[in-house]
Amino acid sequence: MEVFEHLATGFMAAGSLENLMFCLIGVVLGTLIGVLPGIGPIPALAILLPITFGLDPLSSLIMLAGIYYGAQYGGSTTSILVNMPGEASSVVTCIEGHQMARKGRAGAALAIAALGSFFAGTIGTVFIAAFGPPLASIAQQFNSPDYFALMLLGLTMAIVLAHGSVLKAVAMVLIGLLLGLVGTDINTGLTRYTFGLSGLWEGIDFLPLVLGLFGIVEIIRNLENPPSPREAISTRMRDMWPTKKEFKEAYPAALRGTGLGSLLGILPGGGAVLASFASYTLEKKISKNPRKFGTGAVEGVAGPEAANNAAAQTSFIPLLTLGIPSNPIMAIMMGAMIIQGIQPGAAVMTTRPDLFWGMVASMWIGNLMLVVINLPMIGIWVKLLSVPYRLLYPAILLFCAIGVYSTSTEPFMMVLMIVFTVFGYILFKLGCEPAPMVLGFILGPLMEENLRRSLVISRGDPTIFIDRPISATLLVATVLMLCLIIFPQFRKTREEAFQEE
Amino acid sequence: MVIKSPQDFGAGILFILFGAVGLYVGSDLSFGSARNMGPGYFPMIICGLIALIGLIVAVKSLAIEGPAIERIQFRPIVFILLAIAAFGILIAEIGAVISSILLIMFAAYARRDVKPVETVIFAVTTAAFVVIIFVYALGQPMPVWWGR
Repeated sequence: MEVFEHLATGFMAAGSLENLMFCLIGVVLGTLIGVLPGIGPIPALAILLPITFGLDPLSSLIMLAGIYYGAQYGGSTTSILVNMPGEASSVVTCIEGHQMARKGRAGAALAIAALGSFFAGTIGTVFIAAFGPPLASIAQQFNSPDYFALMLLGLTMAIVLAHGSVLKAVAMVLIGLLLGLVGTDINTGLTRYTFGLSGLWEGIDFLPLVLGLFGIVEIIRNLENPPSPREAISTRMRDMWPTKKEFKEAYPAALRGTGLGSLLGILPGGGAVLASFASYTLEKKISKNPRKFGTGAVEGVAGPEAANNAAAQTSFIPLLTLGIPSNPIMAIMMGAMIIQGIQPGAAVMTTRPDLFWGMVASMWIGNLMLVVINLPMIGIWVKLLSVPYRLLYPAILLFCAIGVYSTSTEPFMMVLMIVFTVFGYILFKLGCEPAPMVLGFILGPLMEENLRRSLVISRGDPTIFIDRPISATLLVATVLMLCLIIFPQFRKTREEAFQEE
Repeated sequence: MVIKSPQDFGAGILFILFGAVGLYVGSDLSFGSARNMGPGYFPMIICGLIALIGLIVAVKSLAIEGPAIERIQFRPIVFILLAIAAFGILIAEIGAVISSILLIMFAAYARRDVKPVETVIFAVTTAAFVVIIFVYALGQPMPVWWGR
């Protein structure tokens, strides 16, 4: 059984005392930031990114993955106890979880969310171990046209899933692509869009971009519309255990959620948000008693929580095997890998098996830690909610500034961060969501390179994209997606799904 | 001309500007051909598309009702940016302690009802924490005080 051999390699690498510690620090810090009002995984990752840079690549990736799960987990906690979704994928948890909490079942809702997530995380890990290698070998069949088509599909899916206007999302992706091209053109060595600034010769730095767009804009947004202090529903350790009836309702939902989430996570553009909404819709559809949804249905917590965790896990697959981030969070992970000097893709599995499998194993370890840390310590996390925002935000801002300064002592990086803060603020005022832009930013150079190569191979003949079966299939999928956007019925469901925020 | 959706109108204008500046700045890059793409090929196509979408969004905003642009509150953004700028410019000169304190003080004034005493105490504590964790524990390349 090769799978187990691989996992053993991984657990050896991830199980070292040092890496366990970084995993623990990651999940704790992630939970800490995730619990804070309004901060979801993207700003959490952006804010905490700099502290991982000093570590060796495996430790840093382990810690980042931990931050990601932790932030998502912290989001569930606040959703259930305070009815405050940190990010889109917790919106669903808010609906049912908070209703359960109001009925005095807060503890049970938290436990179900935790256990469902852990179960889904375990399956997700096995999923990566089982499907990673075959997918990576398929990836080796991929040629430039296929990569280009895949990235096109990924971006299209990201547009479909972005909130608000489709056109604006398309523009955001394109602006991201353009920003990704700033710097030196690798083919000719000419500089593009650098405005004569030597600081831009190597391209726009990733860290000031994400910190400005997500970390600092988030602070300004919260200052403009202060999150109203809300009373957290208290809960005791004793009430944590779900009743038999709740358990019976929860586990089939968690199973379905895990399956659905694992599949949706792999799709380009898929991820935690899509998975949790899809699972919620599914549970509501197949329920014998759909009317209880909205009043604290256990299935509505178990299913989506399992689904979003499974998807969070499997969304690493395209990044690790194809080297293509499937959603904005994976774009940040990819940015971090590149900063660490790792080019994500199928090659990592063969050249650095310890890195690949270590990361996979650490995902499971991280999930286990989350359950162990969170359930008994729930009281402490809830206390965090009472730290006044007037003290939190200057500290977060300081950490952002230190983060940028310590990775590059160039004052230009600060200027860049300020520029992206202003840009992000304008985007926010104009109702444009910056997340798809990050995906475009990361994919820009890759897309150009593959488009160039494809057309060199075909001597300028664009039919190369439909002659190759892989790229043809991906392009058909892209076109179908585009039809979905235009198709009015689907558009309506999309708007309904997101209107809750 | 009545703008029915100010947010979209603004976004449309922003996109048009972005595309136009991109086209202008990129105009001296050689475009090449599909067979042999120049450095300008891909960016110019993208800029064109951005401007086109901007145009569509702007025109649509004249016809379809949409949300207004939320009022811009200058206080938060100005003080937050000042805080970052002060930190970024001064840290190399005066060290992590004072620049951290300055950042926190500036940032605190992004809110209206500042509590000066609390802010000073908090700033000093945080600066001490920063030096202990980032400079001594993590060994980040930051001067603690000036003249080093």
